[in-house]
Amino acid sequence: MGKKYNTLTTSSKMGYPGLVVQNRKTSVCQFSFTLGVLLLLIFSTPALAQSGSQTAARDSFFTLTGSVRDESGAALSSVTIKAAGRNRTVVSDNNGNYRLPAVSLHDKISFTSVGFASQELPVSGSKLDAVLLPAVKGLEEVVVTDGYRINTRIANVSAIGKVDGKVMENKPFASFQQTLQGRVAGVSIVGFSGQPGSEQSIRIRGLGSMALSSNPLIVIDGMIVNTGNLANNIKTMDALTGINQNDIESINVLKDAAATSLYGSRGSNGVIVITTKAGKSGKTRITADVEYGSSKPMELPKGGRPLNASQYAELFKEALANAGNTPDAIQKLADSYGLNSGKSNDWYNLVTRTGKQAQYNVGLSGGSEKTRFYASAGYFKQDATTIGADLNKKNFLLNLEHKINKRFTFSTGINASNVGQNTPYAQGFYGNPTYAARVLRPFQLAYNDDGSLNTSTTGNTNFSGVYNPLVIAKYDVKGMSQTHLLGNAKVKWNLFDNLFYTSYISLDYTGMEETTFLNAIMGDGKGVNGRSKNYFERYFNWLTRNQLDYRYDIPHIDNFSLNATAGYEAQKSNFYLLAADGYGFPSAASGLTALSNAATPVGTYGQNEGYSFTSLYGIASANYKNRIILNGSYRRDGSSRFAVNNRYANFFSVGGAWNIDQEAFFQKQKVLSSLKLRSSYGITGNAALSNYAWMPLVSYSGATGFAYNGIAGQQFVTPGNIDLKWERSKKTDAGIDMGFVKDRFSLVVDYYFNNVDGLIQNVATSLTSGFSGTLKNVGAMVNKGWEFTLNGNVIQTKKFYWNTNFNIAFNKNKITSLDANTNPQNGLFYLKTGYNFYTYYMKEFAGVDPQNGDPLYYKDNTHKETTNKISDAAYSVLNKQANPKYFGGFSNNFNYKGINLAVDFTYNVGNYVYGASDIYLTSGAYYTFNKYLYIYEHRWTTPGQVTDVPKYAPSTDNSTSTYRLYKGDYIRLRNLSLGYDFATLSRAALLHKYGINKLNLYVRATNLATFLFDNRLPFDPEVSYSGFDSNNMPKYKTFTIGINVGF
Amino acid sequence: MRYIIYKLLIVLVVLLSLGSCKKSFLDQSPNIALTIDKAITSEASMLEAVAGMYRSMTTYYTFGRNYSVFGDLLSDNVYLSSTNSSRFLSQSGFLWTGESPEASALWQNTYFSILQANRILASNLQRTENVNYLLGECYTARALCYFYLVNWFAQPFTVSATAPGVPLVIIPANITGPLVLPARNTVAEVYTQMVKDLDSAASLMPADPKMHPNTTNFFSKAAAKALQARCYLFMGDYAKARDAALGLVQNGGFTLAGDKNTFNSYWAATAGRTDKLESIFGLNNPAAANNGVEGIDYIYSSKGFGDLLATDSLYQLYSPTDYRRGLIADSVRNKNQAYVVKKYQNATNTDRDEVKLLRYAEVLLTLAESYARTNDKDNALLYLNSLAKKRDPSFAGYDAGMTLADITTAILKERQKELAFEGLRFFDLARTNVSYARENMGTKAYSNYPQVLQTDFRRIQPIPRNELNVNPNIAPNPGY
Repeated sequence: MGKKYNTLTTSSKMGYPGLVVQNRKTSVCQFSFTLGVLLLLIFSTPALAQSGSQTAARDSFFTLTGSVRDESGAALSSVTIKAAGRNRTVVSDNNGNYRLPAVSLHDKISFTSVGFASQELPVSGSKLDAVLLPAVKGLEEVVVTDGYRINTRIANVSAIGKVDGKVMENKPFASFQQTLQGRVAGVSIVGFSGQPGSEQSIRIRGLGSMALSSNPLIVIDGMIVNTGNLANNIKTMDALTGINQNDIESINVLKDAAATSLYGSRGSNGVIVITTKAGKSGKTRITADVEYGSSKPMELPKGGRPLNASQYAELFKEALANAGNTPDAIQKLADSYGLNSGKSNDWYNLVTRTGKQAQYNVGLSGGSEKTRFYASAGYFKQDATTIGADLNKKNFLLNLEHKINKRFTFSTGINASNVGQNTPYAQGFYGNPTYAARVLRPFQLAYNDDGSLNTSTTGNTNFSGVYNPLVIAKYDVKGMSQTHLLGNAKVKWNLFDNLFYTSYISLDYTGMEETTFLNAIMGDGKGVNGRSKNYFERYFNWLTRNQLDYRYDIPHIDNFSLNATAGYEAQKSNFYLLAADGYGFPSAASGLTALSNAATPVGTYGQNEGYSFTSLYGIASANYKNRIILNGSYRRDGSSRFAVNNRYANFFSVGGAWNIDQEAFFQKQKVLSSLKLRSSYGITGNAALSNYAWMPLVSYSGATGFAYNGIAGQQFVTPGNIDLKWERSKKTDAGIDMGFVKDRFSLVVDYYFNNVDGLIQNVATSLTSGFSGTLKNVGAMVNKGWEFTLNGNVIQTKKFYWNTNFNIAFNKNKITSLDANTNPQNGLFYLKTGYNFYTYYMKEFAGVDPQNGDPLYYKDNTHKETTNKISDAAYSVLNKQANPKYFGGFSNNFNYKGINLAVDFTYNVGNYVYGASDIYLTSGAYYTFNKYLYIYEHRWTTPGQVTDVPKYAPSTDNSTSTYRLYKGDYIRLRNLSLGYDFATLSRAALLHKYGINKLNLYVRATNLATFLFDNRLPFDPEVSYSGFDSNNMPKYKTFTIGINVGF
Repeated sequence: MRYIIYKLLIVLVVLLSLGSCKKSFLDQSPNIALTIDKAITSEASMLEAVAGMYRSMTTYYTFGRNYSVFGDLLSDNVYLSSTNSSRFLSQSGFLWTGESPEASALWQNTYFSILQANRILASNLQRTENVNYLLGECYTARALCYFYLVNWFAQPFTVSATAPGVPLVIIPANITGPLVLPARNTVAEVYTQMVKDLDSAASLMPADPKMHPNTTNFFSKAAAKALQARCYLFMGDYAKARDAALGLVQNGGFTLAGDKNTFNSYWAATAGRTDKLESIFGLNNPAAANNGVEGIDYIYSSKGFGDLLATDSLYQLYSPTDYRRGLIADSVRNKNQAYVVKKYQNATNTDRDEVKLLRYAEVLLTLAESYARTNDKDNALLYLNSLAKKRDPSFAGYDAGMTLADITTAILKERQKELAFEGLRFFDLARTNVSYARENMGTKAYSNYPQVLQTDFRRIQPIPRNELNVNPNIAPNPGY
């Protein structure tokens, strides 16, 4: 157990009374304790199990036999058969027959099998046959989980969106999140960079926080994993890229309080619970999937295409002429810029390419009644369509479950992956190929006359500012290798009756190796003869959980049960960084780019960081005949992320559901086939702030960070706040689940109202304090909205089948409280009580003066007067937001005699977007940068011309206004696939002869088409949640062909 | 019965496993940072705090480059080449607005350096000789920061001493909390504080310290006095300026370069000096910690961006035999003739140019001007010539028959020549309150703004919008 350390309490004389910082680390007490319990349990099992076994042998017993068949009379294997109140279960064999020993007369025997409605039949003799009907009541059969419990849909009271593993399989996306896009109402997923494996940002029911992360918590097989971008140098990798989509059994998205408050201080942004595939006993099944294809650039929006040489030359001269230069002077300058050289190139074509794409997966599933396993291995490779960007990943998964005896089940899972990634510079860096392709003049020549790469940095046809992206791509290295190991071990112990004890430990290891090399020929490594940085970063995150579950059936009332769960959880994550930096390389062209070749070391870094949580939780629920279900939960969390006085907090929820379809009166109507009302209220938290945010800190920033003249230097860099607490989200949810026509159609509607208070705000301070802001719990905001999910088997005949799923979510965000001194100018947004957090706030463009081509601005938001001086225009609060009014997905599956067509759309409507570098790409003030085609085509040139692009001149318009704000609406054909399932053919006997029971061939295209609604829009509108395009790598289309074989 | 005991035992074991561990499980602290209360606990840690303060001043947003560039680009010494790296575009054409990121960066980063000085000055470490010396450095640093702030963001003292200056923050945020919203003090109040700080510095720092002795990369008693002379000059208190400067000239032990080789090797060097030649204070930019491509050397040198070029009129001020003309090359940029600045020569070396902020030559010129303005023609000429003749061995010296007004003009001209590319030219134009022309360099220049009138509101930088938005107590500068 942990050693006891003294807690040092220091009353600071510097204005932070009561500031307490512990300077020692504790031992891993919980961890070792859980291990101990696990061992104890495993080694003591036989004795305990024997003593615990009991049989109430009062009646006379016999062995029941029979067979199970489907409607058509075909034998059903693997049906689970069990007598109510008894422990023994058996499964039917391949002929549908079973033998169930120790049955007495009047026992009720249940028959359950996936895809079929369960049946319960009384024993009336020694033989009992059953006919199972296909499950029509989808809600009853679907199982949902919040990570702590598994529930049937019917017993569930929470707003949980579930995505089945089938949806995830064989998708040509590097990250599983990309497949999730558009699948669950209210869940928005944005990967704003086209870099494969890049960070995927998720919002559930809108923006959860202003200053902290709004990304949901992600739980994989019970483990709360570290997510997001964990790297420190290259920063283009999502921590979960290594997860193989084909291994996912299901994804449950927890949206309301009843589900998320179980996660206490970390549940307020919603929770995504991922379960990986488990083995199925019986014959070992092998699946093999192979997919191959290519990636191709998506078309640039027309308005955003770069200018060609003659167009650029025309604008260049026009700018200078409009500035009053003489034709002679213009000619001279044009010559120096190579405008008359006859040599030019198309930068967009030079930095884009057609890439390759491939994935291979093998899965194994099988086992005996006692031991089941699922194992898989996969390989995935994808090239982005931007030069220098690619990804490959290898992964392996083993899930094992072993029934030690009827009281003990042991299970373990190991999920290992390695992801390799190459990436170019991003954002506005001079080496970013996307930025380069936008700003480089067609007359800046990529190649010299002799065909070699142009590395000159002087002269106007060369690269004095932005680097030649081809040189950077050829000689620089920016690579990352991420190894992710996720393992867990679990013992489930049926102590007695309906009391279960589960002990669980999990380890989540992420190791990252980042290597950069900046070449000596051109770019940031030039002045120093090449520079290399190597980073090794490691996250070691462990969690242990001990949980008791008890089910109590109320005596004398059928189907009335109480469930109670209590548990304790401890988690600790530690980050380690080791990095070095050096320059002075022998010769860039020689390929000696390893850091060891650096003549001059410039930096060494080694440091740790961490967080820990402890939690006590309890859940209680009552289920009355599946008609009324009540649920309550409580959690007490402690976290290292807060000062001692604010370390603990309590969270709770209450929820209930009424399955009206279980009531007698429901049967009297014919409109609905099922109906459920559910509602919940509760409090969850957000503790996703940086680990030491509350501390007023003085830092050394490494060896040389703040050093001066060889003396290590410290700076007071963070004001801190010892009163900082978690943010609290009070969530209310009301939902209705409806089924029509024997549940062929279903509609799920949710209304939610999330009131977040204690919002941590980076309260702007006067810059004279030396700081620009400090964290305080001052804000509050509301997210409210509606979600609709419509699912239907529109056509359902033997030959033809059409399933459609449409979801739409409306979210309204409103700030309800802020610090009094809040600067309303929050970047491009208006930060004020009563407004959406993402309300744009800028000067309003009023068009172009037809007489002289001047840009006009509204003097104020009454729009009565215009001015051509932007300084005379007032900032306006716009009725335009960066977040969509509504968004969702629309997916369709058509099946005709084994031919499957899937057509999936995602859409996003009612938002506006802004480009980080658009000023350079639109304003004549920057006439040495290339421009968007829209500017060329619409600029004012002649008096009387009515247009929306001002005169092209160096003195015009170079500040922020709605002139550069675009509609971000889009509809995207996300996925289009056509497949053929050979195994469904009646002539598939040949396949069966070779043991093949599944053979699927398909072709697939992603991002095939995008429909846009603003012809000025110059870039793809799928940008960050703040509506900002930071010259992100463009996304692309993929075209793949694949085959799935099962044995 | 035995069975029930088993059950109870089992439940007991399980319940125990639910229990919590030690409270210290939730204690986590960084291993690369300290809480503020533990930061300055010894002479050694105070020295590190002082090093951190200097380092904050080396940022290119302030003393590392931009203060210096502003002083020449906004005046008549320098123009932005039409072939450039897209830096200082709005400064080149006098197009900046209240949102100017450059002005905001000057403001924010200078106050950050002031915070570092303030929190060291507020520490209650036992006073020793070395601790006193370090505190003296902090006083000098704070005065230097306020000098640049008040001269860029407020009217010159000589134009209006009662005009709004900048907020005087002298107590650090760890004591006041970071939420204080100060108003602007008057220009005179800011100067009073600077003079006071420099007095404190001078009294705390012995002339021959044990702490980093004799290197011009740290503030010293001489630096405090030199800065104080500059303050008095800018206040129009010429008698005190004269006294401060004279004290340094007579007792400081500083010398000017005696010949061309010494002069050239002085400007070629990258290290701080220990020989009292020319330099009094300069910020070091060593290989381990410099501004890279954002360094002042990189923006001037043709080996770097070379974006900033000397105007023809500046070049023509120098006689062909003037050593200082050798620091400007008659060269070519993008096929056009151009005067390329060579005062900063180490743009592509690992050890980079210092940013020289206080030099002996300036002290001599301050002394000469103070004499001229206090009607002491002989001494004015004496000190003016003592510099001018050193710089140009063929120069016979200014004529003793000149009027006082001519001498003052000559001194200002000499200041322009001597201190070019060191960021002080604009201040001289501002404090003497003259309209001035910025030479139109045609298509060689990126843009042009030919006439800066006495009434031009852009003679004062805008109080940053991100300050105005937060701080209702602060008044904006007119025009923005």
